[in-house]
Amino acid sequence: MPTLTYLQAISSALRDELRADERVLLMGEDIGVFGGAFKVTDGFIEEFGPDRVMDTPLAESGIIGTAVGAAVVGMRPVCEMQFSDFISCGFDQLVNVAGKMHYRQGLAVPITVRLPSGGGFSGGPFHSQNPEAWFMHSPGIKVVAPSTAEDAKGLLHAAIHDPNPVCYMEHKHLYRRVKGEVPSGVFETPFTARVARSGSDLVVIAYGAMVPVALEATEDLDGASVEVLDLRSLVPLDEEAILDSVERCSKVVILDEANATCAAGAQVAALIAEKGFESLDGPVVRVATPDVPIPFSPPLEQAVLPGVDRVKEACRELLAY
Amino acid sequence: MATHTAEPAAGGAAGVEHLTNEDRIWLLRAMLLMRGLEERAMSLYRQGRVPGSFYDGYGQEAVSAGAAFAMGPRDRLCILHRDLAAHLIRGVTPSRILSQYMGRAAGITRGRDGNVHFGDRNLGCVGMVSMLPDMMLVATGMAMAFKLRGERRCAMTWFGDGSTSRGDFHEAMNWAGVQKLPVVFVLENNQYAYSTPLDKQFAVDPVERAAAYGFVGVTVDGNDAEAMFDAARAARERALNGDGPTLIEAVTMRMHGHAAHDDMKYVPKEQVEEWRKRDPIERQEARLRAIGVDIDALRASVKAEIDAAAEEALAGPMPDPATAVEGVFCEREAEPLGDGQAPWSGFSGGGA
Amino acid sequence: MSSSPTETLIDVTMPQMGVSVAEGTVVAWRVEPGDRIEADATICEISTDKIDTEVPAPATGVVTEILVPIGQTVEVGTVMARIAVGGEGGSRPEPLDGGGAGAPSGGPQAQPLDGGDAGPAAAEPSSPSAPPTSRPAPAPTPATPAAPDLGAAEQAGGNGHRRYSPVVQRIAAEHGIDLSQVPGTGRGGRVRKQDVLAIVESTPVEEPPLHIESPYRPEPVPPPAPASAAAPIPGTGGELSRIRRQIGEHMKRSLETAATCTTWIEVDMSRVQAARARLGVTALAFVARASIDAIREHPAMNAWLEGENYTLHSDVNLGIAVSLGNEGLIVPVVPRAHELSVEGLAARIKDIARRARSRQLTPDDVHGGTFTITNPGQYGSIMATPIINLPQVAILDFEAVVKRAVVVTDADGNDSIAIRPMTILGLSWDHRALDGALAAQFLATVRRNLESVTP
Repeated sequence: MPTLTYLQAISSALRDELRADERVLLMGEDIGVFGGAFKVTDGFIEEFGPDRVMDTPLAESGIIGTAVGAAVVGMRPVCEMQFSDFISCGFDQLVNVAGKMHYRQGLAVPITVRLPSGGGFSGGPFHSQNPEAWFMHSPGIKVVAPSTAEDAKGLLHAAIHDPNPVCYMEHKHLYRRVKGEVPSGVFETPFTARVARSGSDLVVIAYGAMVPVALEATEDLDGASVEVLDLRSLVPLDEEAILDSVERCSKVVILDEANATCAAGAQVAALIAEKGFESLDGPVVRVATPDVPIPFSPPLEQAVLPGVDRVKEACRELLAY
Repeated sequence: MATHTAEPAAGGAAGVEHLTNEDRIWLLRAMLLMRGLEERAMSLYRQGRVPGSFYDGYGQEAVSAGAAFAMGPRDRLCILHRDLAAHLIRGVTPSRILSQYMGRAAGITRGRDGNVHFGDRNLGCVGMVSMLPDMMLVATGMAMAFKLRGERRCAMTWFGDGSTSRGDFHEAMNWAGVQKLPVVFVLENNQYAYSTPLDKQFAVDPVERAAAYGFVGVTVDGNDAEAMFDAARAARERALNGDGPTLIEAVTMRMHGHAAHDDMKYVPKEQVEEWRKRDPIERQEARLRAIGVDIDALRASVKAEIDAAAEEALAGPMPDPATAVEGVFCEREAEPLGDGQAPWSGFSGGGA
Repeated sequence: MSSSPTETLIDVTMPQMGVSVAEGTVVAWRVEPGDRIEADATICEISTDKIDTEVPAPATGVVTEILVPIGQTVEVGTVMARIAVGGEGGSRPEPLDGGGAGAPSGGPQAQPLDGGDAGPAAAEPSSPSAPPTSRPAPAPTPATPAAPDLGAAEQAGGNGHRRYSPVVQRIAAEHGIDLSQVPGTGRGGRVRKQDVLAIVESTPVEEPPLHIESPYRPEPVPPPAPASAAAPIPGTGGELSRIRRQIGEHMKRSLETAATCTTWIEVDMSRVQAARARLGVTALAFVARASIDAIREHPAMNAWLEGENYTLHSDVNLGIAVSLGNEGLIVPVVPRAHELSVEGLAARIKDIARRARSRQLTPDDVHGGTFTITNPGQYGSIMATPIINLPQVAILDFEAVVKRAVVVTDADGNDSIAIRPMTILGLSWDHRALDGALAAQFLATVRRNLESVTP
């Protein structure tokens, strides 16, 4: 089984889909001739041609809206927002046209929207966001967030096959830092959570780039047995897995790189408070970026994004409670 | 870049060439059915049987009837709220339309969305959203798929004068022009966007914008059903031949308020009077009387159809509240839009 | 005003002219009670804060009453007037108004306006802003990013006031642990989950606790029966025998599982008495044969019901209840009893009864019964409520045959009193498997069979 980086896994999924299904169409800015801002589609245009690896005008609303049109006449468009931040320009088409279409009209909209997310490289306020909560809050849209190379490929295949609009949160920080064995060919990862490490004293619930942070912070934490649960899928949210971890560990730290208020972790915390109350041996703790635009200068950015030290401290305190 | 070609408003002569008498009766029937259904729905609304708001296209029936009549069964339509005739031409039944207005289970959206926010996916129609003109991009996308797959099909979308001020209008026009897509943009210039008149909406005549995006724009008398048909037919041909989009500016007048609760006091009475003389139904009736068609019989037949539809719709149940949270996600294979009816005689010979 | 039998009253309600409009004011009435009005003609004029408009009549008929006077403001949906529709029907075809001022046209229905949302109820505010139903409880105060604040420490000792988390309380309750005795290693001496689990793991479960160490918690125990001042009542005994207990459990389980009902029928045994004298066999054999024949006509009596599994048996393996005196009773089975004649049945019954009383039955002898007959009648009892022998669905009880005065009807329909040997057959049956009608029919067939025996 080949070892691929997270980014190579994404490319692999796109390539395999284009080869397997003639309905698949990639649309985005600078993805064709240039190979994509992050080189995800490097070399694709030579193999698949400019019609299937489409360099679109600079028009996010246009990309999402035309993707909806193409999808309802039988294509499988995979849109790329160059940075997840720019989804706000296409918000209306995604939330009001794509998300609500099946409920209202019984018409399925099988589009995938790839959203390169997250900070940590001095991208500043408009290139560092994690906007998944906006779409968790919009009925009719699924949201997935891989943290490993294998899941990056499997979740993307599953997202493209899904008959519903799916937001695929690919974290830029993981592109080249995460490597792993990735099966070849087309395969699907289910929209469920995954236990990244088993434990019994405390569970850290995280997704995306926060998963490696959680694993590193709790690897050797005063001998405690700490479980790490990788959510992988935000809509649908794997309630069963979350409550199972809480039942066994009874102490929970929830990690969000997104801004704290109403982030995905807030929904997880509410779920645990309602349905996992009897398993709790301590308050539900959240560690998240404060409600600030992501700053540009490194000392400021590092101060707000949750890092290993902050996670360690939160876990230590809760373990001792 | 092709320069904008202004074609003269097509009169009766040019229209007749592609229309048989049956076709012309069809056009009138569609308009009569649209107006009759909307009047019936307005009456039901005033009786308290129609929840929410009610919108109609009184006085601009020819814009949707004429344009939709030129669309083939495999073409796809994004229909707007004053274009009921387009739904009727594609094959949506009057009974389902009234059920839809009344929020009943038999409506096209089964009560999930109201008034004209519907599109029968089995007949190739996409239901509109309230953010206008979002659907222009959807139509552009459908046209994009047709072109990518080398299919001789086109997409049509309607939108109003007000909506041309929003970003999606420009993104769609630009995208369609850049990729030279087989899409027909029907701009219903009915003089008002709610209470906002044209001089608060644009600084140019909107048809000129087509040239700015690199394709043809034509101005058409929106109250002449046959002229609308001919302009749409020509636009479709242009599209199928690979010559790109067309912007049809259909000039008409919104004769009722924005919605049922709007008494349009902001419209000068003289303007209303002037446009009343150009009523699209009266004009088509005059044409057909001149060739001996029994207009009264046609009207009676339309009324009977509406009566039957109202009876059926009123007898239908409201949707089951237990189903309110179902259907958010598609749980089976995604099905694309189906084909619609296309009654124009030009299609019966296996036309494109 | 006509009042034909088909007259119906139609409500004219205050319409909702706009999403946010909640009320309207009547400014003019165009009719008076008694006036006739056509559908869609204007019946009144209203004013709302969005628009002034005319209200069309929803039907053709005669105005019966005006309920809202001019100048009064009422809520959307209020009935303002009523129209009586009836007799010749209401609608009159109207031409579509092609060039008019947009007046609505088209006639409504002649029938009373119905539909699931009759008039007043339909005029509700358009956007159903139903308050959200149950929402998850708000999350506890989220931690600030810098330093999670876990709240006040527990207080240990002192006034002894300690708080325990939900999981700690649950574990303690499950294992009967006194939390006040559990040392806490959490913050401020708080009892953590690990602390109470440590007690659980170190507490041997199976051994009885020592007198001074056990985590004993007093339970409310009902006080023993108050000892009377007098001496205890003398008697012998002790525990029940094993067979007694087994019978008891079987009977109890049957009553707890089956939906037991009992139906009785009277049978004239004259012919049977004559026949048994002739053949030298017991009446029980005749009852057995009659029952087997009745099972042929009502096969649902010969079945097993075990939980949800229902099995209809074609063979009749007839169980016969045999008393073992003080030691209880047993039900040996005559297998394939349907193949036996009355004499054959009599012989087999005699044989298994003898073997039962001399304790010579094998396990096979008591296994596989599909229908049971119990016959304790030799002491004179006339009726009983037998308990079904699970998993069978019915049991027939044959009690004493008693001479009685009964009414007999001759061929001409004349009644007279006669002396006849009568018995009452009781059938207990399981209502989960069959119904009373079938039970009664079965008994009627058994009776018919017995009353038509060749004397």
